[in-house]
Amino acid sequence: MMLSVRGLTVSYGPIGAVHGIDLEIGAGEIVALIGANGAGKTTTVKAIAGLLPFGGSVTLDGTPLRPGAAERNLRAGIALVPEGRGILGRMTVEENLLMGTYCRTDRRAAAADLAGMYDRFPILADRRAGLASLLSGGEQQMLAIARALLSRPRLLLLDEPSLGLAPKMASFVFELVASLRADGLTVLLVEQKARHTLKIADRAYLLELGRVVTSGPARALADDPVISQTFLGGRPLAAEAPSGG
Amino acid sequence: MISTYHAALLADSGILMLGALSVYIILATGQLSLGNAGFMGIGAYLASYLTVEAGLPLTLALVLSALAAGMVGIVIGFPALRLRGIYLAMATLGFGEMVRSFFLNFEPMGGAGGFSGMVHVSVGYIWLWAGGILVLVTLLERSRLWLEIRATHDDETAASLVGLNTTATKIGAFGFGAAVAAVAGGLFAHHHVYIEPANFGFDRSIELVLAVILGGSTVAPGALVGAVLLVLLPETLRFLADWRLAAFGTLLVLVLLVRRQGILDRGLFRALTFRRQAS
Repeated sequence: MMLSVRGLTVSYGPIGAVHGIDLEIGAGEIVALIGANGAGKTTTVKAIAGLLPFGGSVTLDGTPLRPGAAERNLRAGIALVPEGRGILGRMTVEENLLMGTYCRTDRRAAAADLAGMYDRFPILADRRAGLASLLSGGEQQMLAIARALLSRPRLLLLDEPSLGLAPKMASFVFELVASLRADGLTVLLVEQKARHTLKIADRAYLLELGRVVTSGPARALADDPVISQTFLGGRPLAAEAPSGG
Repeated sequence: MISTYHAALLADSGILMLGALSVYIILATGQLSLGNAGFMGIGAYLASYLTVEAGLPLTLALVLSALAAGMVGIVIGFPALRLRGIYLAMATLGFGEMVRSFFLNFEPMGGAGGFSGMVHVSVGYIWLWAGGILVLVTLLERSRLWLEIRATHDDETAASLVGLNTTATKIGAFGFGAAVAAVAGGLFAHHHVYIEPANFGFDRSIELVLAVILGGSTVAPGALVGAVLLVLLPETLRFLADWRLAAFGTLLVLVLLVRRQGILDRGLFRALTFRRQAS
């Protein structure tokens, strides 16, 4: 397994948010974390990214990751696109993207990747000299994902990438995430939009109150009557054509 | 040749600009320091001791003072990491007052009576330092390091997510800012050839911050604009006699009402430099 999380616990002061989560992600997989508000999804990905102190163990390709070392984790190959996108609003689009390459030592390849990113997201090329805060929500999400990709991660953590986006833009983001599989990227996707998420994910974990209550192949979870009722509004996924992966 | 009066104004502008730059460097990471007069005081007293008592040449004394104050700045930078905004401003204010009262009670350097015996330096020497450091900071602003500093100011969490070491950036800025303030202090001591603890009190720290806010806090030459205005405005208003300082205060308020970002901002600076390159 590429990422292995064992007995993860995270507390905010005296209040426990995550109570012993186990999860595993294999190379090239898209794994989803679904659950209601307050289930501990964001806390889990923040701990894996190194933004929060945690108990238990997190290993990447067998190497243990230390809590609270976001810069080191990024260099190890874990990039997080946080909830709210985490763009640098007072800097230009180009400066934001340049920042994404700063953790790399292969300057020439990084410059080529930057040019390639403008080909992939032409809207960012058009707005490259503008302030990032002036982009629309969807464009900011593109910028955040592009910036994370420029660090050439092996594991991409995406926290609610569709939050606050218009339906059309949200669909674009899900298609984009599904396309990352072709790049050989491994993705841990946190989402509330379970329908879209379970369509593109290989496997999923359902979190409730800081614990994993069930996990398995995404389509099998989608057929689970409780999950179908709670997260898919009672309309089974099997009736729809698969998209992305 | 310029008159003694004009030379004094030029020297004061150069020293104030260096002090303002020291605030600007720290402010660029999003930290407001109200204690830079403290670093200036350390530089002034140490450089004076090194030239008067130890007999070192001034340039070497200034470099050593800058290094020493830079280390103090780094030490101050660590507790500052836990503080933000107004709380950090209060803590640095406390540091400045601590330095002032230390020299007030430190008899080997004259205590409340002050310290003298320094050799007067020329305006040219002061501006060599001031211009050199201004050019250095302006060049730094075009570097990757400055982009990291701006990112730290913008959003620390986002900056750490792209792999930046925001802790090192913030502490480094405190160290560099303190070193620049110490050079300003050393030059102040050798320009006025007499120093006392009251020279480096809270009002001096406020003056440095005011120069940055007035001149512009987004580009280094803003410190130059602010310093020149703060030195020249009260002088040009002398015809108002006793109302001079009231008029000065009114002008400051008016300028900040019209240009909240300070007189020189990134857009204006770019427009000015582009025009110069084009012509």
